[in-house]
Amino acid sequence: MRVIPYAAAIVMVAGPAAAQASDPAARTVQSLDDALIATMKAGASAGMKGRMAKIGPAIDTAFDVPLMTRLAIGPSWTSIGATDQQALVAAFRRMTIAQYADNFDGFSGQSFVIQPNVETRGGDKLVRTTLKDPKGDDVAIAYRLRPSGGGWKIIDVFYKNSISQIATRRSDFAAILQKGGAKALIAHLNALAAKAGG
Amino acid sequence: MTLPAFGPVVLALAAPVPAGAAMPAPIPQAADAPVRADLVASILSPIEDRPVIVTTQLPSHAPGDPLEKFNRAMFNGHQKFDRALLRPAALGYQHAVPKPVRSGIRNVLRNLTEPIVFLNDLLQLKPGRAIKTFGRFVFNSTLGLGGVLDIAKLPGLKLPHRPNGFGDTLGYYGVKPGPYLFLPFVGPTDLRDLLGGQADGLVLPLAVGDPFDRLEYQIPKGVVSGLDQRAEADQDLKALFGSAVDPYATLRSVYLQDRAGEIESLKGRKPKAGTSPLDTSLSDPLDDPLADPGGAPPAPHADAPPPSDAPELSDPLTDPAG
Repeated sequence: MRVIPYAAAIVMVAGPAAAQASDPAARTVQSLDDALIATMKAGASAGMKGRMAKIGPAIDTAFDVPLMTRLAIGPSWTSIGATDQQALVAAFRRMTIAQYADNFDGFSGQSFVIQPNVETRGGDKLVRTTLKDPKGDDVAIAYRLRPSGGGWKIIDVFYKNSISQIATRRSDFAAILQKGGAKALIAHLNALAAKAGG
Repeated sequence: MTLPAFGPVVLALAAPVPAGAAMPAPIPQAADAPVRADLVASILSPIEDRPVIVTTQLPSHAPGDPLEKFNRAMFNGHQKFDRALLRPAALGYQHAVPKPVRSGIRNVLRNLTEPIVFLNDLLQLKPGRAIKTFGRFVFNSTLGLGGVLDIAKLPGLKLPHRPNGFGDTLGYYGVKPGPYLFLPFVGPTDLRDLLGGQADGLVLPLAVGDPFDRLEYQIPKGVVSGLDQRAEADQDLKALFGSAVDPYATLRSVYLQDRAGEIESLKGRKPKAGTSPLDTSLSDPLDDPLADPGGAPPAPHADAPPPSDAPELSDPLTDPAG
């Protein structure tokens, strides 16, 4: 049997860079990737606050943060009060922006390649991308998007085509939710954001 | 910090959790097992001063983790060991030994795993892949000066290292992971991968013997590769655990998802729609709690497709580890 090497598979999946993505879901991912590159290029000189100012609006535009928060919490979401729900979404957003700004703090030639062929998953769309790093290995990153407010927003991110951010977060949150409830999780998320400088 | 190392991961896990980069490693490594760079991450966990969630009060364990109480105790102990000894020693090694020497040692040790990769390529009835592994081993063992230089991965040859082992072969033929485990000096693993890793470690001692079956070889090899792997994974681990509310559960989730993805990838024929691990794992509808009966109004497009027949582990929203 013929097996296509993983690296080759990634290349095939990645395809040529689309100068201007035509699919609306791909455009959402493009806007995020552009902002990430800009954040990296801003680098250390922009400081944590400067990078957060660059990536924050892009995250608000590209991600459906409230839905991602609900998905990460899971079924117990419905038993959480409205005030705590709002605080959870705010804390999830704050932590997400802080972590991106903290981690994407330097540029050394990276680029994103977005596969032009957007796939469909039920009512969702799947956009595959590759992070090209001149000094390291290529990394496959896929985004799942869902219609929201007339456009398409990211609701999950897959690393290496197999590790779901939402699944990981649900596991990450489970014990503290069970033990301390929503308020404990809110406090932890805000503490993580503060530690990163956000 | 530079993006190259863990930027991708971070990206993937939404800024925060750089999973993959840090813990790709599937096969657990026994003291005498061949060292896999990706394993490293596993072995050595983080070092951050962060409160560890006390889990002993939890009434039950997470799905897929029946030994959670034991595992958490091992994990917490490992974190203390890492902070006190392992990380300082690893960073000392990184500082004291020049980079070319470190990468040369790493390449030699990885080259010694290629016979195991080759064997498992064959066991999975992948002759084309086995030939490439063999070619890689030959090129690097000769022109690569005994494996010091990884020339096979260069654009001219395009034969990068592709990990494979008995844990992969078991998974390829349908053996389930069994209970998740976190073990000292092994890191995150599961019963299947633990046994597979032990078998990997027996290949060279049984097939070649001296020096691979001697403690004078195995102990220094284990120490050097452990320090090297810990040092190389430092940034990734910081990013992974730095964004985790519950580092133990995050690592477990990432490990199990990663392994499930690797096994699916071995089973896959072509990255064609419907057959790749990504496709199958994404074919299940998202389980938006707001779509629950009695909940708030359903999210847009909550009318999901029929459930897929994908294995449970590959469903991104059915986290194997809870």
